[in-house]
Amino acid sequence: MTTSTFVAGNGWLYRFDPRAKILLMLLLCVWFFLPVHLVGLYVAVALIILTTACNTGFSHAWKTFRSILPMLLFMVLFMPFNVRDGQALVQFGSFTVVTKEGLLQAGRLAGRFIGISYVCTLLFATTIMNEVMLALRWYRLPYKAGLVVTLAFTYIPFIADSFSQIAESHRLREAEAEQGRRLLQRLKDLVPTLTSALVVALRSIPNLAMSLEMRGFGLSNRRSQYHNLASYRHPFTHFLLSAIIPVVLWLLCKA
Amino acid sequence: MQHALHISNLEFTYRSWKEEECDSLFSNLSLKLGEGSKTLLLAPFNKGKTTLAKIICGVCPKYFPGNLRGTISLFGRDLSTLEPWDLLTSCSYVSQNPQEQFVATSVEEELAFGLESLGLSRSEMKERIDAALGHWGLESLRTSSQQELSGGERKRVLLAVQEVLQARLWILDEAFDDLDQTWRDQLRKTIQESDNTILVLASRYLQEFSDLFDQVVLLDQKRIHTPAFDALLPRFSRLCGDDLPSPLDGQVLDSCKKHTLSCIDLQAQRKRLSTLQGQMFSLSVPNFHLDSGELVTLVGPNGSGKSSFSRLLCGLDDPISGAVCIDGQPFTSKELSKKVGYLFQNPDLQIFLPTVEEELSWSLKRRKDLKPEEMRSRVSECADLFGLKLGDTPTTMSYPLRKALQAAVYFLLDRPFYVLDELDSSLTYNSALSIIARLRQKGAGLLLITHDRQFARGIAQRGYGIGDGRMASL
Repeated sequence: MTTSTFVAGNGWLYRFDPRAKILLMLLLCVWFFLPVHLVGLYVAVALIILTTACNTGFSHAWKTFRSILPMLLFMVLFMPFNVRDGQALVQFGSFTVVTKEGLLQAGRLAGRFIGISYVCTLLFATTIMNEVMLALRWYRLPYKAGLVVTLAFTYIPFIADSFSQIAESHRLREAEAEQGRRLLQRLKDLVPTLTSALVVALRSIPNLAMSLEMRGFGLSNRRSQYHNLASYRHPFTHFLLSAIIPVVLWLLCKA
Repeated sequence: MQHALHISNLEFTYRSWKEEECDSLFSNLSLKLGEGSKTLLLAPFNKGKTTLAKIICGVCPKYFPGNLRGTISLFGRDLSTLEPWDLLTSCSYVSQNPQEQFVATSVEEELAFGLESLGLSRSEMKERIDAALGHWGLESLRTSSQQELSGGERKRVLLAVQEVLQARLWILDEAFDDLDQTWRDQLRKTIQESDNTILVLASRYLQEFSDLFDQVVLLDQKRIHTPAFDALLPRFSRLCGDDLPSPLDGQVLDSCKKHTLSCIDLQAQRKRLSTLQGQMFSLSVPNFHLDSGELVTLVGPNGSGKSSFSRLLCGLDDPISGAVCIDGQPFTSKELSKKVGYLFQNPDLQIFLPTVEEELSWSLKRRKDLKPEEMRSRVSECADLFGLKLGDTPTTMSYPLRKALQAAVYFLLDRPFYVLDELDSSLTYNSALSIIARLRQKGAGLLLITHDRQFARGIAQRGYGIGDGRMASL
C-alpha cells in the first residue's frame, strides 16, 4: 500500500544532509512566490531540472515532467482566458479572448508549478523515506505527524501505480473488433479507471491502519530508531548552502 | 496447561456498507491451541479463515465492521481488553494477500518498523534483521521497495517480519501459496523447528503439510470440526469439490482455426530503481511456442521472470530484442494485447465496475458489430457458465467468484491465447480446473504459471521452466 519514491544514485544530492535538504526545499518553494523576472524564474527551473537529471538520471527527470504534464496543460490552456486586463492579443469585436498579461501569468504559473514539482521530487527521489522521517523529527515534528507526512508521500504514488495497472488492464480488455478510439472515448474511459483507482485506494485504508497497529503503532513506549543521520558529514556546510542558494537566486533574479 | 489461544462460542457477522447484517460466518465456534502446538486449519473458500485470523489479531471488527460475540483469550489474556498493538509480541499474522500488509518503503524498513515499536536497541535490531534477511534469502533485496518484488518475494518479506518480531503465536494464512519449492521447504523446516504456537490456515491440502502438524481441524458449517485425520481429508476434498472428476478429462474442444504463438531469442531487461548494486534483471527466451488448444505450464522460482515474460507475451512490455509472433508473423505490442489474454495474479486489478453485468459487457459494448440483444444474451450465458449473478457487486464477492469473473471477462473476449498467472494460487483445484476448462473450450492455447509442480504435472501437456532469467523446455 506504499510505493517508494526513492531512486538510487550517487550524485551530490544523495550526500546532502536530509535536514538541510528539507530546509532547501522549503526555501525554494517560497522563492517561487517572490517577485522575480520571468526569465530568471525559468533559468531557476532549468537549473533545478538539470540538477534532477544529473542526480536521478534523465529518464527520471523526463518521467517527472510527463507525470505533471496533464495538470500543466490544463493550467496553461485555461489561465490566459481568466485574465481580461492589459493589452489584448486576441479579440472578437469588443470581446477580449487573450491578453498579454494573461499569457505572462500563465507562463509564471507554469514555471512555479514545474519548479515546485521538481524541488519536491528531488527531495523524495534522493532521500530514503526513513531519513525524511528522521529529519522531520529533528525539526521537532511529533512522530505521528511525521508518519502521516511520509505515508502521504508514499500513498500518492501508490494510487498512481494502481491507476497505471488498471489502465493496463483496460488495454488488455479491448475487443479485437474494436476500432481505434476517439479522444472523447478515451476521456470517457478515464472515468472507470479513475473510479477503480479510487476504490483500490479507499479499500486499502483499513488494511493500512490494521497493518500499522499490528506492527505496534499505538504503543505508548518510546520508539527506537533503526536508521540515523550520523552518516551525513558536514551538516553545517549543508545548512549554509541551503540558505545561500535561494538568497543568491533571489539576488540574481529579483524583479 | 495454559492455552496459547482459547476461542469459545464465537459468533461473527459482517455488517454491509448499508449497515445491514450479512449471514453469520461463525456460530458457536470453539478452538483451543496448546502452547507450542502446530495446527492446520482447513476450510474451503469464503468460510471465514481470514476473518478468524483478523479477529484473533484484534483488528476485526475494529477495521472490518461486524458483530462479534463469544470470548477469546490469548496466553490467558482476554482479547476484548487488548488493542492490536498490545499483541505485538504475542501474535503475528502473515496475510494471504501480502501487499495489504506493507507499511514501509523498503524491505529493511519493513522489518525494522515493528522492532522500532518495541523500542529495541539498534544493534539488536540489526542482528535480528540480518538473520531474517539471510534466512529468507532477501539480502540482495534489502533496499527494494514492495513494487519491485514478485508475489513470492513479498510473502518471504512478511515471513521475515514475523521472524524478527518473535511473537509467541504465528498465524499463517495460505502462507505456502506464492512460494516456490525451495521456500516452501524452508517454511516447512521453520515450522518444524519452531517452539512457537503455529496456526496455518489453508484451503488446499498441500504435500508439504504431511507430518507437520500436531492437529488438523476443519472449518465447516460455521464451526470447527476435529474428525480423525483419515476421515478429514476425504470430507475436505468433498467440500471443495476436489473429489469430482476433472473437467479437463475427456474434454472435447470446439473446432477452431489453429494458431501458434511463438518467440525466438526474446530478450528483456528490467532495472531496479532502489539500488545501484547488483545486475540489471535480464530475461532470455531462446525458444517458446504455444499452439491452439494446448495447455502448457511455466514453473520457476520466485522473481525468476515469469510475470515479466507474461507481460512481453501480451504486449504490456516491449522486448529489447527478438519478437513475439503469431503464426510466424511478428506482432506489435498493441496487436498482441488483442490476441493474448493475461489474467493477472490479483483479480482486483482487472475488475473495476459496480456490477457483474457492467463488467462483462464493458468490452462488448465497444464493438460496432454486435447488436444490443446479442450482447445481452452473450453476457447472460457467460454469467451462467461461470456461476455469476449479473446484479452482484464484484468488490463484495468472494475471492473465487472474483477470479471467475476475471476469467469470464476474458472468455467473452474470445482470445486465441491466454496466460494464467498463478491461477491456482488461493483457489481449490476444482475451481482452477473449471476456469481452465472453460477458457480452453473454444480451442484457445493456455499458458499456466504455477508453483504447484504436482498440479502442473497432473494437467499439462508440456512445460517450460525458468531460472536465472533463462527459459527452457522441461
